[in-house]
Amino acid sequence: MDRTLEVLAVCGVGMGSSLMLKMTAEDALRALNVDARVENTDLSTARGMTADVIIGQGMHTDEIADAAPVVITVSDFLDKEGLQAALRERLAEKGWLA
Amino acid sequence: MDIIKDTLTFLADNVFGQVPILIGLITLVGLLLQRKRFEDTLAGALRATIGVVILFIGIEVFTGGLSSFQTVLADAMGTTPPKADNTLTDFLGAQGGTIALVITVAFLLHVLIVRIFPAARYLYLTGHLMFWISTVVVASLVTIAPGADQLTLVLCGAGFVAAYWTLQPLWMRPLMRRVMPDDRFGFAHTSSLAALVTGYAARPFGDRERHDTEKVRLPRQLSFFKDVNVSTALIISLIMLAAVAFADDQVVAKLAAEMDPKLSPWVWALLVGLRFAGGIAILLFGVRMFLAEIVPAFKGFSDRVIPGTRPALDAPTVFPVAPTAVMIGFVSSTAVFLGCLAVFAVAGWFTLAPPMIMLFFVGGAAALFGNVVAGWRGAVIGGVITGLMLAVGQAVTWGLFERTAPELATLADPDWYAIAWLLKAVDPIIGDASVWAVPVVALAATVGTLLLLGRRERRAEGAGGAPATESAEPAKEAGGKN
Repeated sequence: MDRTLEVLAVCGVGMGSSLMLKMTAEDALRALNVDARVENTDLSTARGMTADVIIGQGMHTDEIADAAPVVITVSDFLDKEGLQAALRERLAEKGWLA
Repeated sequence: MDIIKDTLTFLADNVFGQVPILIGLITLVGLLLQRKRFEDTLAGALRATIGVVILFIGIEVFTGGLSSFQTVLADAMGTTPPKADNTLTDFLGAQGGTIALVITVAFLLHVLIVRIFPAARYLYLTGHLMFWISTVVVASLVTIAPGADQLTLVLCGAGFVAAYWTLQPLWMRPLMRRVMPDDRFGFAHTSSLAALVTGYAARPFGDRERHDTEKVRLPRQLSFFKDVNVSTALIISLIMLAAVAFADDQVVAKLAAEMDPKLSPWVWALLVGLRFAGGIAILLFGVRMFLAEIVPAFKGFSDRVIPGTRPALDAPTVFPVAPTAVMIGFVSSTAVFLGCLAVFAVAGWFTLAPPMIMLFFVGGAAALFGNVVAGWRGAVIGGVITGLMLAVGQAVTWGLFERTAPELATLADPDWYAIAWLLKAVDPIIGDASVWAVPVVALAATVGTLLLLGRRERRAEGAGGAPATESAEPAKEAGGKN
């Protein structure tokens, strides 16, 4: 991708678990060498924002499955390797991985 | 000498007394220590500062909505609305700096405790609760020692808060290990007492193997409830409309006219419900904005000082384990809370304000832990316990915070109530000096607990070669695995 990847981490209120998820995602994206900006937010706000990738737990990604080209569901907020693998696969599909 | 005194007065009034500036400076230091790029450091510090400003605006909108809600509901029920001599906005204006310093000092102290005692194990990282629990503790200390100066409040508050952050994930550990057997992170949420009570009370009522909530299918229509903005607006608006139907027309007309003279009382009721939800959304947006800067800074610092410590995290990090249990907990806690609202109103006691966010997170967490010990019945019990704790807590604690920040009682989780009343209980024992007894007793209890836990773990390690992380409690009933 020739610009910064916009990534949203979502949770119910957008403060606690999504912030942890944001830090995990930042680490995973750095390891993949992707230039990305990760923000964390709540479900309502996420609907009104544009992003390339949305990451969240199933309970929330079910609700906003169409809000971004890539939506990744996680169940473990600290699993950097798992998220990295999912990102590698999904970003490659879109041709966003160098 | 005058220059020193003037400088200190200036700093006290303009830096330590002004939360946005103080939080901005703390963030600035945090980002500088992380050696971030100049533009990231500046932008981060500014975002944190603006976040606090937005937080204050949100609280103003929220408390405005809250007072209309309580006035109309009280009138409909023929009771008097709860009185307040102060508001959260005023309290944060006066003590916000103290609270920001309590968070910072308490975090450093907490890191130190975790560094010294391996048994402490978890680092508390749920940022918004770090803010709110510090607020509750400062409000409680001001209640028991109205004359205390800022330094006293900061040191006493930080001592107590650090003890709470250290111990809370530990008392949740036996239950957490049934949810997350690999023990990679702890549970850091002020719903802990509701979850703990549920975890033990639900035991005789079933077992997870046979009654697991995740075998239950919930109707799709409940899904909009997951968005707390939506559920808050909906529930508060519905109660407002019902209250307007029963309240005195003149009271409602007068309140509605204050917003807009031409406004229908019904539309006004709807708008109050929406403004209430909007206020909370703004408040949360502000908190989110400064946390996004401060928490990574705190985490960066602690990663360097105590590498490899397990983090203790916000409640939703365990929600993926049993999302159905979470929904059962939310729905049942809301039902019980609304039931209490009706009963209290008929009894003419207190007009409750349904805290949808707390009902969701506390009810959800309690139900999740209820489910691991007793399946769906445990989840329902968790919801019921939460509904009762929040309703009774709100009714009895409003008066306690009457002269500081009564709205804290309507925004509270179970642990907030417990802490407020615990600190209040200290008061009559030793009078004014008790403010110093609070951190001393709390820290002594923490160190005692950690020494005991440490010894038990070493013995377990020596005896059976079992890993130190294996405490007897969860191993006994490890049957209910996810």
